[in-house]
Amino acid sequence: MVLEVKKACKNFGGLAAVSDVSFSIRKGEIFGLIGPNGAGKTTMFNLITSMFPLTTGEIVFQGDNINGLKPNKITEKGICRTFQNIRLFPLMSAEENVMVGVHSRSKSGVLSSVFRTKSQRKEEAAIRKRAKELLEFVGLDDFADITAENLAYGQQRRLEIARAMASDPQLLLLDEPAAGMNETETSELFQLIKKIQTLGITVLLIEHDMPLVMNLCDRIAVLNFGKKIAEGTPEEIQNNPAVIEAYLGSEEEEEYA
Amino acid sequence: MLIEQLINGLTLGSIYAIVALGFTLVFGVLGIINMAHGEIFMFGAFIGVMITAMFDAPLWVAFGASILITAILGFFLETFALRPLRNKPGVSHLAPLISTIGVSIFLENLSHHLFGSGNKPFEAPFAQVSFQVGSITVYLVQIVIFVISIILMVALSIWLGKTKAGKALRATAENLETASLLGVDTKRIITMTVIIASAIGGIAGILVGMAFNSVNPQMGLSMGLKGLAIIILGGMGNVRGAMAGGLILGLAETFVVVYGDSGYKDAIAFLAIIVILLIRPQGLFGKKITT
Amino acid sequence: MLAELFNPYYLQIGCFILINIILALSVYVPLSTGQLSLASAGFMGLGAYTSALLTIHFDLPILVGIIAGTLIAGLIGILIGLPTLRLQGVYLAIVTLGFGEVIRVVFINWESLTNGSVGISGIPHIGREILKTLKGFGFNPQSMGLQNNQFIFLSIFVLLLIIAIFLVWFFRRQHYSRVGRAYAAIKLDEKAAESMGINITYYKVLAFTQGALLAGFAGSIYAHVLAYISPADFSYHRAVDILVFTVFGGSEVIWGPVFGAIFLTFLPEVLRFISEYRYMIYGLMIIILMAVRPQGLIDVNIINWIKSKKRSKRGVTHGSGSEKSM
Repeated sequence: MVLEVKKACKNFGGLAAVSDVSFSIRKGEIFGLIGPNGAGKTTMFNLITSMFPLTTGEIVFQGDNINGLKPNKITEKGICRTFQNIRLFPLMSAEENVMVGVHSRSKSGVLSSVFRTKSQRKEEAAIRKRAKELLEFVGLDDFADITAENLAYGQQRRLEIARAMASDPQLLLLDEPAAGMNETETSELFQLIKKIQTLGITVLLIEHDMPLVMNLCDRIAVLNFGKKIAEGTPEEIQNNPAVIEAYLGSEEEEEYA
Repeated sequence: MLIEQLINGLTLGSIYAIVALGFTLVFGVLGIINMAHGEIFMFGAFIGVMITAMFDAPLWVAFGASILITAILGFFLETFALRPLRNKPGVSHLAPLISTIGVSIFLENLSHHLFGSGNKPFEAPFAQVSFQVGSITVYLVQIVIFVISIILMVALSIWLGKTKAGKALRATAENLETASLLGVDTKRIITMTVIIASAIGGIAGILVGMAFNSVNPQMGLSMGLKGLAIIILGGMGNVRGAMAGGLILGLAETFVVVYGDSGYKDAIAFLAIIVILLIRPQGLFGKKITT
Repeated sequence: MLAELFNPYYLQIGCFILINIILALSVYVPLSTGQLSLASAGFMGLGAYTSALLTIHFDLPILVGIIAGTLIAGLIGILIGLPTLRLQGVYLAIVTLGFGEVIRVVFINWESLTNGSVGISGIPHIGREILKTLKGFGFNPQSMGLQNNQFIFLSIFVLLLIIAIFLVWFFRRQHYSRVGRAYAAIKLDEKAAESMGINITYYKVLAFTQGALLAGFAGSIYAHVLAYISPADFSYHRAVDILVFTVFGGSEVIWGPVFGAIFLTFLPEVLRFISEYRYMIYGLMIIILMAVRPQGLIDVNIINWIKSKKRSKRGVTHGSGSEKSM
């Protein structure tokens, strides 16, 4: 098991955003986390990456309890994420964004940086090389010098993936990577995530694009109102009455809203 | 003795509260620290001195003139220093702060030319009138200051709570976009807020002049810094908080002078906010304009 | 001939410009992580008083005093920086402004140590010390065609110029490194930076402390250049002046604060013929600048434009990597 979420609960004020959710992710698989809007999926990401503290429960990553670690320590441990509402560093170039991602895997401090010691120069060259590789990996090698805010939407999504991968994660969390993408872009994204899997990186994916989720994921967990209502392979999920109920119910609500 | 000091503290505190109101209104609506508020306040005080000393006019005329001039200054502040920065892409939250600092530098040095750089005495006609209640001496000036402050605070509370314009102002403070969608003319509200805040500063200027019997171009700065401390103490943009914070500071300073080292009086405000911000960053009374 | 060139008055303005550049950097560095600090005047005062008192009362060499002044400011910087980390924007600005006021009030009231609002005079002067030392080796400024006091100011100016160039070089190199990227990332999006593995507590305190060290250093130098300090030198006005250098010049690139300090130190001197109105003009200029160019005079676009000019003049085209090196 790469990640085990055990009875995770998160309350905001009196409201339970996530209650009693448990699931485990095996090494090397693509695990989907789906559910209607407001089901607690992004909250789950924020709990795993420690951006919010758990109210109760436990999250275990590769055998270590990671509760209460700071977000940057979680990244050091080998979990990195993208954001639903893209959070790139808008005024930095694509390359610099990815170079920031390498932060936790490098160590030059103020003095070695200023005086450009031999090891610092070596490290800086390695960071730059890694950034170039990753930009190529996500198909942005021609856009290295473009500032992030000037990239197209789909490119920004892919740049976020490259930036997250720069921290050499064991587990990559993708929060709605296909949101706002057209069909061509989505199918490119499909290939990209598959390619990430072949590198041995485990992927946890939040996504609303059902065809993408069903084709991509090895297993899926479904959240509704902060509770897990189903878990299984794509076929099992597609035929699960509770899941169908949850989705149909929410669609009706959306129509009224 | 204790009661006399209490009265002194309340008098000082009610002035502080009025100064802080000007800061808090602007912050509540615009999210801007108006660093020029202290200088507008100082202008109000000088106008009061000029009117009473040169024209021998009664106090209410001084108040009227002072309110008028500071309101005009507020209008200029909004038109030339704040509005050009609003809704402009790429403007950091620093820009309006710096811009109002520019206004404060301009006004402070302008006042050197207009009013001279020294102290001007401010003699209220009833400055020496006092009452004896038992062993306690109370000056009429103190009562006038306290009463005017209370009237001003109550009037502002009623205005914010009950009138249409006041409600529009609160809606704008709550959320500018929503308010403008609901049909509030936010541009007008913002201008009005800055003008009202400045006019309140003008009133405070005269009150301070009466309380300390003296007016000088540097008074804007020291009072401005305290006003800033008070709105942090009371919660940024919180009207009641500003009033309570002002009274607390006034009392605290008075008692430090009596029982402690008077030299450190001016540091209390800032020591208090440093402690407050570390324990309760939202201020003693929370945020936003409420009544 | 040299004598006319090195007018002590101009040299003194030159020294102030260089000190102001260091002070402007002390705002720029914390601001490059998004922290608006108005504490520079306070840290400057700490540095100045520490160094002045140590050199006067314990007869320590100026260099030791300056180092001690810088370190004390840095130490207090860590103490202030840690708890104020969670404050954002204007809150941090006001608290740091308040810190400066508290420091100033302490200087005024701790009379047994600081001589109160009268201030401390008779602080050892760097220039004179240099001259004394050199004379010990048999050097005589007349051999260069200079008067003693010309030499004194010239030596300070050259010394400060070297220091200022070193500091700009230092922080430029820091900017184009792992540390600089972490600073920029924190400024642009703190949460995202933290999620990318950046220890934001460490880097924010680091930047705040670097600012305190710079201000403390500038303050120590200031004390030994003027030979006289008083609490009024480290007041709110000083804090605002320093902030305006940086914001006026532009806080996006290091050349902004450098330019701001040079320009705004010159300006009142140039405006001396209308001396009565010069601060009013100064105020008006700030208002106009913020309305027209709120990012400050020097921004990334201007720097890129200057670079492209230089490049086309040389007639060589460089790769994008070249601008990263100094």
